[in-house]
Amino acid sequence: MNLEIKKVIIGILGLLFLASLVIVQFLEVVRRREETGLSSHSISVPDSSRSCVDCHQQQNPGIIAHWEGSTHAEKGVGCVECHQSGESDPDTFDHYGVDIATVVTPLDCSRCHPTEAAEFAQSHHAAGGNILASLDNFLAETVEGFRGSFNPHSPTPGRPDIQSVNGMSSSLLGCQQCHGSKVALQATEGQAITVDDLAPGPDGIPTNVEALSRIKTDANGRPLFDPGTWPNTGIGRLNLDGSSGSCSACHSRHDFSPRRARQPENCAKCHLGPDHPQKEIFEESKHGVAYRDLKDKMNLDGKDWVLGEDYAQAPTCATCHMSGHSRNGGKVTHDPGERISWTNRPPVSLVLDTDINGKVVKETDPVKRKALIHDFAIDKRKRMKNVCTHCHTPDYVDAFYSQYDDFLVLFNEKFAKPGQAIMKALSDEEFISKKQFDEEIEWTWFYLWHHEGRRARHGASMMAPDYTHWHGMYEVAERFYQELIPQAREILEHAREDGQDEAADRVSSVINGILSRPEHSWFEND
Amino acid sequence: MNTVGSWLKERIPVSGSQLREFTNEPVPNHLKHWWFCLGGTPAYLFVIQIVTGILLAFYYEPSSSTAYESVRYITHDVAYGWYFRSLHKWAATLMIASIILHQMRVYFTGSYRKPRDLNWMIGMTLLVLTLMTGFTGYSLVYEQLSYWGATVGANIADMVPVLGPFMKRMMLAGDSYGEQTLSRFFILHAAVLPVSMVFLLVVHISLIRLQGVTEFQFKKDQAKGEGGGHFAFFPDHFLMEIFIGLVLMILLSFLATVVPANMGPEANPLVTPEIIKPEWFFYVAFRWLKLFSGTAAILSMGLIVFVMFLWPFIDAAIRRRWKGSEFSVWLGILAVFALIGLTLWEAFVAH
Repeated sequence: MNLEIKKVIIGILGLLFLASLVIVQFLEVVRRREETGLSSHSISVPDSSRSCVDCHQQQNPGIIAHWEGSTHAEKGVGCVECHQSGESDPDTFDHYGVDIATVVTPLDCSRCHPTEAAEFAQSHHAAGGNILASLDNFLAETVEGFRGSFNPHSPTPGRPDIQSVNGMSSSLLGCQQCHGSKVALQATEGQAITVDDLAPGPDGIPTNVEALSRIKTDANGRPLFDPGTWPNTGIGRLNLDGSSGSCSACHSRHDFSPRRARQPENCAKCHLGPDHPQKEIFEESKHGVAYRDLKDKMNLDGKDWVLGEDYAQAPTCATCHMSGHSRNGGKVTHDPGERISWTNRPPVSLVLDTDINGKVVKETDPVKRKALIHDFAIDKRKRMKNVCTHCHTPDYVDAFYSQYDDFLVLFNEKFAKPGQAIMKALSDEEFISKKQFDEEIEWTWFYLWHHEGRRARHGASMMAPDYTHWHGMYEVAERFYQELIPQAREILEHAREDGQDEAADRVSSVINGILSRPEHSWFEND
Repeated sequence: MNTVGSWLKERIPVSGSQLREFTNEPVPNHLKHWWFCLGGTPAYLFVIQIVTGILLAFYYEPSSSTAYESVRYITHDVAYGWYFRSLHKWAATLMIASIILHQMRVYFTGSYRKPRDLNWMIGMTLLVLTLMTGFTGYSLVYEQLSYWGATVGANIADMVPVLGPFMKRMMLAGDSYGEQTLSRFFILHAAVLPVSMVFLLVVHISLIRLQGVTEFQFKKDQAKGEGGGHFAFFPDHFLMEIFIGLVLMILLSFLATVVPANMGPEANPLVTPEIIKPEWFFYVAFRWLKLFSGTAAILSMGLIVFVMFLWPFIDAAIRRRWKGSEFSVWLGILAVFALIGLTLWEAFVAH
């Protein structure tokens, strides 16, 4: 073989080798970029979902685009895996030969994520739907809206079809989009069908067959949802299968992005505004300032996101309340209450000792209380401190909690309990009706604890001085001294005019007793 | 100037003409083709590795608790750290690729034959040392894949009959990947292996200098009247090498900037990744190991490397037996196709 031929052989083999090297490096770079989250991963469409993906790619490309970005797509979890349903499920329907349900519930997610679902079920989040019978809901359903529908009082130009007003709209689009609706199916006769009618067992299968027979379907046999209750991704949604909540409240469908769930903006769908501005409070705090500056270095795309291992630049809501950290073996919890030692939700802040069902223990007798407690607030605080001490010394954290405790006790003792006592005295003497929000002082008291009082307490809990003071305690104090007390006294004045002197005196003594206390003495007595 | 010149000459008794004679070896005309000058490329890339490696070593901390963080610090916080780390990574890739190309050229042109058989074996040793340097360097990042790659590598070594367990212990500084492993890898990567390579490179190049470059005469060159002639090493060939070096630097900078070295998740001994892959230059061996059962694969691979080492003598024996045999060329073609095929196979499949 002469040299010329060998030259050609060397040239061809060399080029082949270089070409293979380019291909290998390309594959290597693509793989590395996927691994480090710099590029989207490869997608695996399971056979069972192939036709779903092909069709919905045309019909709803946004759904498929989101799903393609999910870990589900990477792992081959397709549409059917989540949407599959049993024949006896109330909302099941045949969709091109597959039994599926539109609404995916925590019970469905628990097929693959049992631990997460169990933690979530214990959480206060899962109980968010309980607001449906609360004061807040009365406000939305009755004061702002109407429990039912009524006729419009004049035509709406351009919309002759509006013949009825849905009085529940404010509740449905406001409260229930965060707290969760009670999902209902339209009925062929009678009221819409909910979980109450279906009475499902632990496996989610309805036990009330009669209710199933009343489900209204469209021409294709698909059960029709009551549009007042769905779409809804409220965190405490009351589902037809008896489960509570909606995983997509935090893990937005259909990409279920961990990156998004780690960011405070995700929580801000609900945790903001005048009555619980946690997102704004976080932004004001040093935590939020650090997060804004350093979020690009926080490994938010990482597969794991363990504080102290994968990042430590700044915390987000998830960091403190849910995510794993280096001191708990990286264990994530889906119960955000596991690390919270006070609840600032009610008018008077309560120590968050919880019972076996995760409910706040309100028993005051120490012995009985201890027997009821399943998870002590002090243990919850220890869990939070384990997070805090990734960035702060134990002395610093202890001192903060000392300041925080002092603040809550001050709020409770100076304004919350006194306000509650005055309102109770007025109610007991029937100077105000049992009905809520029909008297000015009830709005005043509601603003005091529900808006300003919570702002102050949440501000203190997350180290936002402006929310603690100017948006918080300053307004609490103004509301108390300049509105609550004067309005209460005005009610008593009217009572005396009506000849109810004794009752008015009793309430007056409550008010004066409060104002004679050292902390209030500056107001009238000094 | 004369005073300085005399001062130097007194201490370094080498005259200008002696220096010219030393550096100005006549270079065969075929080296005017740039693709024949690629033998210097690995050496050039090796120098880049030494320089960037020293810069990285200023910040790297070889322990399981600090390694990953120090690499992250280099990548994200140190001024130009990402650039030098990326240069280091890509120069390693190009260095191994250019060694393979160089070896292919030497093999197919028969330049390994007597009296250059010893130098072939030195070159083979350099190739093995380069691969070992690549292996230990990749492990230093202490990310999931590098950790598990090293663990798998050690387990493969463990399969070698008789010596396996000892080799694994020597490699990992214990029975498993532990606190001492990274410091061992670091010392190997940053001191023992490069120093050995420098020594062997000096011998390798000295032997080329002493024996001269193998001369080839292409018909085209002969037609042009350049066949069999020579040209000056300095400045003609030297400038060609400088030119190749600059092109390489541009290529490296391009790769480092467009495809910078990134970082996977930190090593977690408790979580085995779904897909474990070594660096690309071990794909061929990795795929080979997957094709056969443990010990058979190890022994056959060892045999292949052994044959490669001794090839000049085996080839000589074959040529003595069958005069004019082109067996080596056909075997070489087969080997290159196997290298390319197994590497691509491993690259394309997950497991």
